[in-house]
Amino acid sequence: MNPSNPPQAAEYGGDEVSAIVLDPGYSTTRAGFAGEDAPKSLIPTYYAKYSADGQEKFIFGDDIYVSPRPGLSIHNPIGKDGIVEDWDMAEKVWEHSFTSRLTGAKAGNPFNNGLNDIPAEELPTEMEVESDEKPLADSPLLMTEPAWNPAKAREKTIEIAMEKWGTPAFYLARSGVLAAFASGKASGLVVDIGASNISITPVHDGMTRALFKKNSPQPINITPHYLISSKTAVEAGQPAQVKYKTFAADKAPDATYRALLEERTLSEFKECVVQVWPGPNKLSATGPTGASNEEMARSSPGRPFEFPDGYNQLFGVDRFRVVESLFDVKAAIPDPDSPVPAPTQAQTIPELIKASLGGVDVDIRPHLLANVVVTGGSSLLYGFTDRLNHELMQLFPGPRVRISAPGNTAERRFGSWIGGSILASLGTFHQMWISKKEYDEHGANIVEKRCK
Amino acid sequence: MAAASDVRDMLDLPAEGQPRPAKKQKVVEKRPEGITRELYALLGERAPPIAINENKYKGRPKFMNKLRVRKWCMTPFANKARSDGLVLNHWQREHESTRPPAPEPNQMELDGAKEEGKEETKPTEQEYAFAKYNIKARVPRQYTDEEYNRHLKSDDWSREETDYLMNLVTEYDLRWVIIADRYDYQRHLDLEPDANAIVPAKQYRTMEQMKSRFYYIAATMLAIEHPPSEMSEAEFALHEQMLKYDPDRERDRKDLAALQLNRTADEVREEAMLLEELKRITSNEQNFITERRELYSRLEVPISVGNTAMYQSSQGLSQLLQTLLQADKSKKRRSILGPEGAIPSPVGQTPTQATALGRAETPSTTAATKDTKKGPAAPQAQPAVRTLTPAEEARYGVQHHERLSGGVQFRSDRAQKLTQAKSNVQTQKLASALAELEIPVRLFMPTERVCKDFEKLIQSVNLLLDARKVAEKVESEIRVLEAAKAERERKNAPETGKDPEHPEVKTEADDGANGVLGSTAANATEAPAEGETGQAKAGEAAADTTATETPVKEDGNHKRSASVLSSVSDKSSKRQRR
Repeated sequence: MNPSNPPQAAEYGGDEVSAIVLDPGYSTTRAGFAGEDAPKSLIPTYYAKYSADGQEKFIFGDDIYVSPRPGLSIHNPIGKDGIVEDWDMAEKVWEHSFTSRLTGAKAGNPFNNGLNDIPAEELPTEMEVESDEKPLADSPLLMTEPAWNPAKAREKTIEIAMEKWGTPAFYLARSGVLAAFASGKASGLVVDIGASNISITPVHDGMTRALFKKNSPQPINITPHYLISSKTAVEAGQPAQVKYKTFAADKAPDATYRALLEERTLSEFKECVVQVWPGPNKLSATGPTGASNEEMARSSPGRPFEFPDGYNQLFGVDRFRVVESLFDVKAAIPDPDSPVPAPTQAQTIPELIKASLGGVDVDIRPHLLANVVVTGGSSLLYGFTDRLNHELMQLFPGPRVRISAPGNTAERRFGSWIGGSILASLGTFHQMWISKKEYDEHGANIVEKRCK
Repeated sequence: MAAASDVRDMLDLPAEGQPRPAKKQKVVEKRPEGITRELYALLGERAPPIAINENKYKGRPKFMNKLRVRKWCMTPFANKARSDGLVLNHWQREHESTRPPAPEPNQMELDGAKEEGKEETKPTEQEYAFAKYNIKARVPRQYTDEEYNRHLKSDDWSREETDYLMNLVTEYDLRWVIIADRYDYQRHLDLEPDANAIVPAKQYRTMEQMKSRFYYIAATMLAIEHPPSEMSEAEFALHEQMLKYDPDRERDRKDLAALQLNRTADEVREEAMLLEELKRITSNEQNFITERRELYSRLEVPISVGNTAMYQSSQGLSQLLQTLLQADKSKKRRSILGPEGAIPSPVGQTPTQATALGRAETPSTTAATKDTKKGPAAPQAQPAVRTLTPAEEARYGVQHHERLSGGVQFRSDRAQKLTQAKSNVQTQKLASALAELEIPVRLFMPTERVCKDFEKLIQSVNLLLDARKVAEKVESEIRVLEAAKAERERKNAPETGKDPEHPEVKTEADDGANGVLGSTAANATEAPAEGETGQAKAGEAAADTTATETPVKEDGNHKRSASVLSSVSDKSSKRQRR
């Protein structure tokens, strides 16, 4: 094939219109151009707020982790359930996600990113110039939303996109559907294990029903990096020998900053150490050889982890126990201090899948089971898909169960973004955009009619 | 090589000059592509074996250097499938549509300049390639008010709800799963707020109800457009199909499907096992049939009409065996017999194997019993002699005969033979006795045990008949003697003295008769006790016969008195005559 010839459009059905795909989540916000295979811009959804010279200032992006400014507090505009709570800030965070990397020269308000120190007197004129230029004036925008997003939130989203960002065309797609698209399926059962919640979405012909569940890891008290000025290596299991940095009361950042960094360490721990018992059967059950599964888990070599203060420990069977509650509610580690209530039986993954399958027509259930799509960053827990497969086989011995989980880490983490990237670069999709004209005619309510 | 030179250096030996320069030259020749000569010289003669890859831009293939660069540009386009005329931009090869895809280079240069101007003016006019995929599912035309009132009225569905359903169907392109999911019809109460204050319970519509309503409407609309007599075949088929939609049946089907889906692991395993078994049975059946056909073809050897004299001698016999073996070898052995094919008498082997297969095949047998059956069946196929326990012998019907008569005979025939007595009269009597016992002359199920019991029964019936015959004879003799006695008494009335003898004789005779009858009765009752359940009736009947016999016996008690002696003497006299 001659490489200089473009592929025939009909061959792959693609037609790129330089659309931007924005996939906001609880922990990270992903943005990138449609047609690419990974989002170019990946920023934490958290933002930092502090006041300097009597003004409120914000920090977006990865900078929030490394700037323990006095009085700095960390916030998240999105609630644990994935629904936006603080619209003003959500807009700013999202805008930062694409202006910082994608739209380049047409960056939004430079004050927003907190990097520019512009004298106060120049401000009004600058603001006027900015207001004319919308950040997304020539890119259609495809946004994702959780399947349980309320109508109000959807209308608010299109309002922001159309009026604040000036996008010529907009579409709002369910993240579950997009995750199914990313693995090349129009129908399937999407199991999304996200940072703050787990959702099971049955997708049929690109349309959904949804059930979801909240879940979050158990908090552990950790001393974050920023408090440490020096440390020495210690033996495993020994108390840490560190010199802590001290912050004066007026200089210290807010407690939320510490919480953020603690959670960051925790998620690092989750990624490095925590493992799902791969099955078959529960961790508490007895294996085929007669030895209990817990014994088997204990016999597998432990994994070391070093905390920021130098304390390190070899984690054996404990690393299986932490996430066992995803499958076996009895194995949940009770924690009275946790703000998240202990999971109930109905919140384990097999039960969620069962309930969600029970809600769809019986004719498509076998098809859904044959197309289980696993996505979301936390699904990368080692052994997760094996265990899920065993659980599903036990739950539904009759129909064929097939799990499709991309092996590529990026594909798993950005499943819904990639689906959006595919969708927004399809030639046939371009008739589905909600254009500015349609928005002006029908108002924000059009999103309910068009994005079904 | 290098080690050798080192050793020479150490030992101060003169270096062998000749081989080295030759090697050097070789190495120089092998200098890889991506490395400069100077750099390579620095590496020296003993260069480590590293691969040197040059990261070099490949560029365009040579043949393409002649081609003119064709530009891509961002062109706006409008999508015909949209109603609002949204204009989006995409990258498009310049002039791509108007020019043939690969024109010759010089020609391109010529008309390139001309066309550039034209294209800029009408970029959006060409049809958007993907607009043609904008298709909708075929839904029936919207009905008018009149049509609705005439044909489509329903007690269950209001006009508003029907409209709502039809809109939903159009909106979701007949995806019923989605329609049923999104269906959320609220009756508009505000139209008649004062009608009644009771809020009707929200109706829940199942997918079957929706489908049934929709298909009814679609079929009716189709019939309105074209009466069924004018419909094309496809239309008529569709019409029929839509009219015949049965929501109840569909619901039942779905219930069954749900049941099927929610089976336990054990049920699934059992089904898989049964399916496997069935597959095995069907495949074995084929084998069995072919094997049986083979066996039949062996049995149906035409009767030889030739002279058998030549096989009478041992030499002739051995010759025959040789020829038969030859024929057997030349015949294609079927692979299914496998190792047993080596056994020289396949004819004898086949039936046992067939029975073994037949047993294993019975689908009703559970795994446990199958195992026990397979156990003895498998060694049976082996030629090794094996003693069977009595229970096993009974199970497989193995019998040991003292002496076998030649030829084939049926067991039922033997039983049949018993019913044929020497005289015709006796045979008839036997038959009537059997009829009284409600036992058919020809046995229904002549198993071995039945035959044995039948034999016993016939024996006892014969005994009984004999007894009756004797009794009758005695009776007639008594009558004759009584007549003679009366005669004598009339002649000499006062004659006495013989009387005291009589009672003794009578008691003896009675004992004997009782003994005989008792034994027959015992035999008759013994038979059903041993026999199968089917002969329970026979037992009752036999009891009857003994009951009917008793009055005769009692009669005999008074009447026979003196005749027994004479009968005994009669018998002995008969024997003597013989």
